[in-house]
Amino acid sequence: MKLNKLLFLLAAFFLGAKLTMADVAEGEKLFNANCTSCHAINDKVVGPALKDVDKRQSEAWLIKWIQNSQAVIKSGDEYANKLYKEYNQSAMTAFPQLKDDQVKSILAYIKTGGAATTVENGTPTATAKTEDGFYSQGMQIGLLIFAVILLIIIFILTKIRKVVGKIHDEKYPEEADEIKIHWKQNKKSTRFKLFVKHPVVGTLAVGALLTVVLGLYGYDYGQTKVGVQKGYAPVQPINYSHELHAGKYKINCQYCHSSADKGKQASIPSASTCMNCHTYVKAKAKYNGKVSPEIQKIYNAVGYDAQNGTYIAGFKQQPIKWVRIHNLPDHAYFNHAQHVKIGKVECQACHGPIETMKVVSQQRSLQMGWCINCHREAKVDVANNDYYEKLHKDLKASNKDFITVAQNGGLECAKCHY
Amino acid sequence: MGNINKYWKGLEELNNDPKFVANKKNEFAQGIPLEEVLTDSDGEMQSNRRDFLKYFGFSISAVALAACNNTPVKNAIPYIIKPENITPGIPNWYATTCGACSTGCSILVKTREGRPVKIEGNAESPVFKGGVCATGHASLLGLYDNERLRLPRKDNNESTWATVDTEITQALASSKNIRIVSGTNTSPSTKKIIAEFTAKYPSTKVVGYEAISYAALIEANKRAFGKAVVPSFNFEKAKVIVSFGADFLGTWISPVEFTKGWSKNRKAEDKKMSRHMHFESNLSITGSNADYRFPIKPSMEGAVLLSIYNKIATATGAPTFSIPTIEIALNSIDLTAKELLAAKGESLVISGSNNIDNQLLVASINSLLGNIGTTIDLDNYSNQVSGDDAGFEAFVNEMESGAIDTVLFYNTNPAYSYYNADKFKQALKKVKTTITTNSSTDETGELCKYQTPDNHYLESWNDSEPKLGYFGLTQPTITNVFTTRQVQESLLKWAGNNSDVYTYIKSNWEANILMAGETAWNKALHDGFFIASPKVASTMSATALSNDIANKATVNYTTNLKNTELKLYTKVGLGDGTHANNPWLQELPDPISKACWDNYLTIGKVTADQFNLKQGDVVTLKAGKTTIEGLPILIQPGQANSTIGLAMGYGKLKGKVASNFGKGLGKNAFGLVSFENNTFSYNASNGITLTKTDDGYELPLTQTHQTIEGRNLLREASLNEYIKNPSAGNNEHAHIISLWEEHDSKGHKWGMAIDMNACTGCGSCVVSCSAENNVPVVGRKEILNSREMHWIRIDRYYSFKNLATGKPSTKEKEYDNKDNNIDFEHVTVMHQPMMCQHCGHAPCETVCPVLATVHSSEGLNQMTYNRCVGTRYCANNCPYKVRRFNWFKYRENDDFDFHFNNDLGRMVINPDVTVRSRGVMEKCSFCVQRIQASKLKAKIENRKMVDGDVKTACQQSCPADALIFGDMNDATSEISKLFKNERKYVLLEEYNVQPSVGYMTKIRNVDESIAGEQKAPVKHEEKHEEKHEAHSNDSHAHS
Repeated sequence: MKLNKLLFLLAAFFLGAKLTMADVAEGEKLFNANCTSCHAINDKVVGPALKDVDKRQSEAWLIKWIQNSQAVIKSGDEYANKLYKEYNQSAMTAFPQLKDDQVKSILAYIKTGGAATTVENGTPTATAKTEDGFYSQGMQIGLLIFAVILLIIIFILTKIRKVVGKIHDEKYPEEADEIKIHWKQNKKSTRFKLFVKHPVVGTLAVGALLTVVLGLYGYDYGQTKVGVQKGYAPVQPINYSHELHAGKYKINCQYCHSSADKGKQASIPSASTCMNCHTYVKAKAKYNGKVSPEIQKIYNAVGYDAQNGTYIAGFKQQPIKWVRIHNLPDHAYFNHAQHVKIGKVECQACHGPIETMKVVSQQRSLQMGWCINCHREAKVDVANNDYYEKLHKDLKASNKDFITVAQNGGLECAKCHY
Repeated sequence: MGNINKYWKGLEELNNDPKFVANKKNEFAQGIPLEEVLTDSDGEMQSNRRDFLKYFGFSISAVALAACNNTPVKNAIPYIIKPENITPGIPNWYATTCGACSTGCSILVKTREGRPVKIEGNAESPVFKGGVCATGHASLLGLYDNERLRLPRKDNNESTWATVDTEITQALASSKNIRIVSGTNTSPSTKKIIAEFTAKYPSTKVVGYEAISYAALIEANKRAFGKAVVPSFNFEKAKVIVSFGADFLGTWISPVEFTKGWSKNRKAEDKKMSRHMHFESNLSITGSNADYRFPIKPSMEGAVLLSIYNKIATATGAPTFSIPTIEIALNSIDLTAKELLAAKGESLVISGSNNIDNQLLVASINSLLGNIGTTIDLDNYSNQVSGDDAGFEAFVNEMESGAIDTVLFYNTNPAYSYYNADKFKQALKKVKTTITTNSSTDETGELCKYQTPDNHYLESWNDSEPKLGYFGLTQPTITNVFTTRQVQESLLKWAGNNSDVYTYIKSNWEANILMAGETAWNKALHDGFFIASPKVASTMSATALSNDIANKATVNYTTNLKNTELKLYTKVGLGDGTHANNPWLQELPDPISKACWDNYLTIGKVTADQFNLKQGDVVTLKAGKTTIEGLPILIQPGQANSTIGLAMGYGKLKGKVASNFGKGLGKNAFGLVSFENNTFSYNASNGITLTKTDDGYELPLTQTHQTIEGRNLLREASLNEYIKNPSAGNNEHAHIISLWEEHDSKGHKWGMAIDMNACTGCGSCVVSCSAENNVPVVGRKEILNSREMHWIRIDRYYSFKNLATGKPSTKEKEYDNKDNNIDFEHVTVMHQPMMCQHCGHAPCETVCPVLATVHSSEGLNQMTYNRCVGTRYCANNCPYKVRRFNWFKYRENDDFDFHFNNDLGRMVINPDVTVRSRGVMEKCSFCVQRIQASKLKAKIENRKMVDGDVKTACQQSCPADALIFGDMNDATSEISKLFKNERKYVLLEEYNVQPSVGYMTKIRNVDESIAGEQKAPVKHEEKHEEKHEAHSNDSHAHS
């Protein structure tokens, strides 16, 4: 892979193309936003694999094609018509909004073979801690094993001591008696003195100690366990892999979770959204020419006949009952748009490395403390939104560089609870 | 020296009633209802050791169960095909027409994920201008009424549409005499459909029936002007308004439209205001807002009208009639005539009476004054109300004779609201095929063979023409909840036309209303209304009055001089009882009496003393042949002497809420209506007797739940005083000492101004707030326990005149029960909306032990339910008494079997607002969810917020625009300007709690002095010195 990338870069360099890193980054962004729902670089998805696309056609042709494929087809272009027929006469979406330069940067990105060159543009304003607890799960297991080993060692040592003592006693019986008497006296005088002299106080003291210990345990339990569903990874009705879609094919999160930048809910895509791609993508290759059983579940929901490629008339559609993973209590108001669109928080900040998950699990505790921590650290992007005009002016006037969400009232109760 | 009036919330306070005194000392009416919670089913009011162990044991096991920590599986079910316009979490708004009554206000409906959750006014409508009344707001809940019929019914058993369609079509085909009994129907398309139905079944006739009839008004206009219509009244053009019992701000014809027009001329800042005079028997909200209010008996109306007519006729050279001198307090007739003559062509005389003679007198007066064509528009008339009382009488007789074989009831319930219900029910039995389209089984529906339930208007396609040339469209905002069908579709189907209502209405509009195609239709649908070019209002003069009318007025006056008279009225909100099953409306306190969940006999203090009655007594009322037993007495200041009032719309037999779960709720007063001179009469003058019984009855009144301890909360001045000195009545300011550090609000600082001059007390905001903020309904019993949950209440205060001096009572003088010098008949009233004041130095915040209520950087006093442990210290320490405690879990609780107790009713819940649980405090949040949503919208649109972006639920719905919300840090906002106004004051300023809510001094357009002697005008810069002065002079608010 690495060699590939290097070769591409070298080739690009020698061809004298104006290939700056910014172009590639821009291209990656555009690619993810516009193309990934139908294309991948190395695989055939809805549309053809885009690797080496620049070798198949000229840049000028590609620009025309991307901006308005139908026009190219109508112009009678041979290659275009061949493609059109090959893909069951399903037309590629026109992108008239993409300027020539933007198409060029997409092509530049494709040339790199999909190597992520830069992070998402814009400064990530929020960085959430990846771990909430003090110890990770692995660490906890390790500690447990360590404790067991220690116990075993203690046990063995006591045994050895006993055995050695026995041998010693047998050898020097007179010394042994002395020690025994000393022990008995000692025991009486120290170990049980409290109980013997003040049985009530003793009991109370032990009771208090137990209460404190159990209470602390209970408090900790209540704080970190009750209602906290970290790690929750329910079985979903369809074995959908984010690793495949978001990781491998790099489909933009908001292609499916389309209202994440618009409203309260990020929203689970409707089955019709799935069908945008899965009308064509059936993963037959993996299942001996049959439709993948997981994809078949979408067809069963919407009533799609994969054999004939038609929707079954009069079919009673069945919604897909996904299991909600991230649950907030009813008294907490959370709005995706505020965080995604305004705060420019990356999805991964709250949902973890979703692009690596075959099965999605809750990665953060979603406790209030966790929210608050981020609000304390995240800076308000005052410069790029006219809503904050006055605040921005005030900040500049007082020579401050930034204001955190918390300083802007982001810790107040009625921001989330009403 | 400032305002010299003393204000009272009710007679309980005035008389220092022992219960009131006891209550006012206790912050909470009753202790923690532990006993109630622990009561066994056999009613034993004891909690013993065993109970303790039982509950203790439960808590242990509950903890143990909770510790299992099983994650409850929650599903997230997306659409299969997402509708293009629906984004989860973002509301969709639809413009439609309110169907709560026939007024047809243009409204907007907010839907979330396909279900309507809030109704708001359509501000773009030039007629209704964005106002909605309490009933309109509450009609949303009617959609989620669990008692709506789920299927058509035949002989009171569930049936199917196919069955009833077949049978009804057969019955219709063989019928010889078909009648459609319809309430007011303003829909042009429905009329066309009925015409089509009539074409198919030519024996069909439509009988108009309205429980609250306007037949006399229509008939009088027919006789006087040759136009049998209800005119349009232009209150905004009227400089003098004289109303005879027409409650146009509350219940008469089109209250929202009239309130908008009326309040436009009531702005003190314009230095001129309309003068509003009101003659009535019962104290209505319109009367309570009038500048001059003259209590009269119902039988006097004709005589008073004739006297005024005579004076105007003399001045204008028209013939006069002889009339004896009327005994009426003050110089009301002279004053009214003088004012009317001074505003010829710019005055408006109206009457709420359903007596043709009285309405003819009103028409003549208006004609003499030249008001026809200016303030009264007979050309662009109103369709909003109707009435054909004689026609309905004839229909009942026809039914009785057995001549009719098929009746269809549309939007009416005569078995409940017809005065002779027994006769109607007997007659109905003689009809072979009876069909009702009402959406739940009501008193009429129970007797009908077929019940073919209509959709709720939020599920329907429909149109309306409330005023000539003003067309409204009704569009569905949700698919049918049950298997119901629109009346229009049923009629079409039975007439053999299978087209759907949408297509029918659309083609009708395109052909006959819009005279244009698709684009115009889409625009009309988007706007919710369409306006055809209006006609020019023509000037008309009335035909001459006959001597007969003058004679009748004289006789009516003289024969009833000594009689006690009854005046029936409808309550704001509940109206004629159509919405009696709506818990929001039942819980809405009456704007005047502040009683909810009941009707009662209102009676003046003087008359009550004559009958030896006091509040809480129960009487038997006899009026002619009708007897009503068990009516509780409410002593009503302002009630005309020798009159009693009773609200219609109660005493329903059907509907869980309306009938109080079968136990009965109030008494049905429709039996007291009579048919006289071709119209229904809503008053009775002869043969009224009141018999006191030994029973007692406690009315659920909300007003006396708190006391103001004589503090200076209400400020008012006369218009003349205000013109001379803008701070008239409001120059008393407290000496302020601060203990606390000031809050620093750099961004927004939210505040609200309440114009006491505009607020009519109609209660629309109360229901709007309940809908927006998921305020639970607590029911009658809990109201009696002072546990109402409304976040906004409207306090109503009376002030009394002293008969000896003729002046308002002064602070210096305390009254006792025996003081005969109080004029209980002539009271002045003030309405004061009261909600959380969002104090800068909030007393509640300092006492909360768990920091559940804290201040925000935007000036909000935040209430955090999940932190609250329910100590109630905050409510104790709140000087405004606006905090509400959840004594119970009001949802999923059979003791509170209202809409929160069933899945359907819970669909009305606003998903953006937490539903509070038992044991937590709650209060007005300034609609923080709306603030947050508007801020986010501005951020997404990359712009600054502008004034008017955030509108609170109460503000949005106010028909009088009395509430103004905004950012006090924005110097250009309306609220900033209002807060600099000389009329602005805050309540309990002397506490220096720095409320974010400011009140504007009430200005009345009266000649008398209200504010009293004034000091030199106080400029705001000099306020501080003035405060010291006031303090040293000891003319201080604390006294």
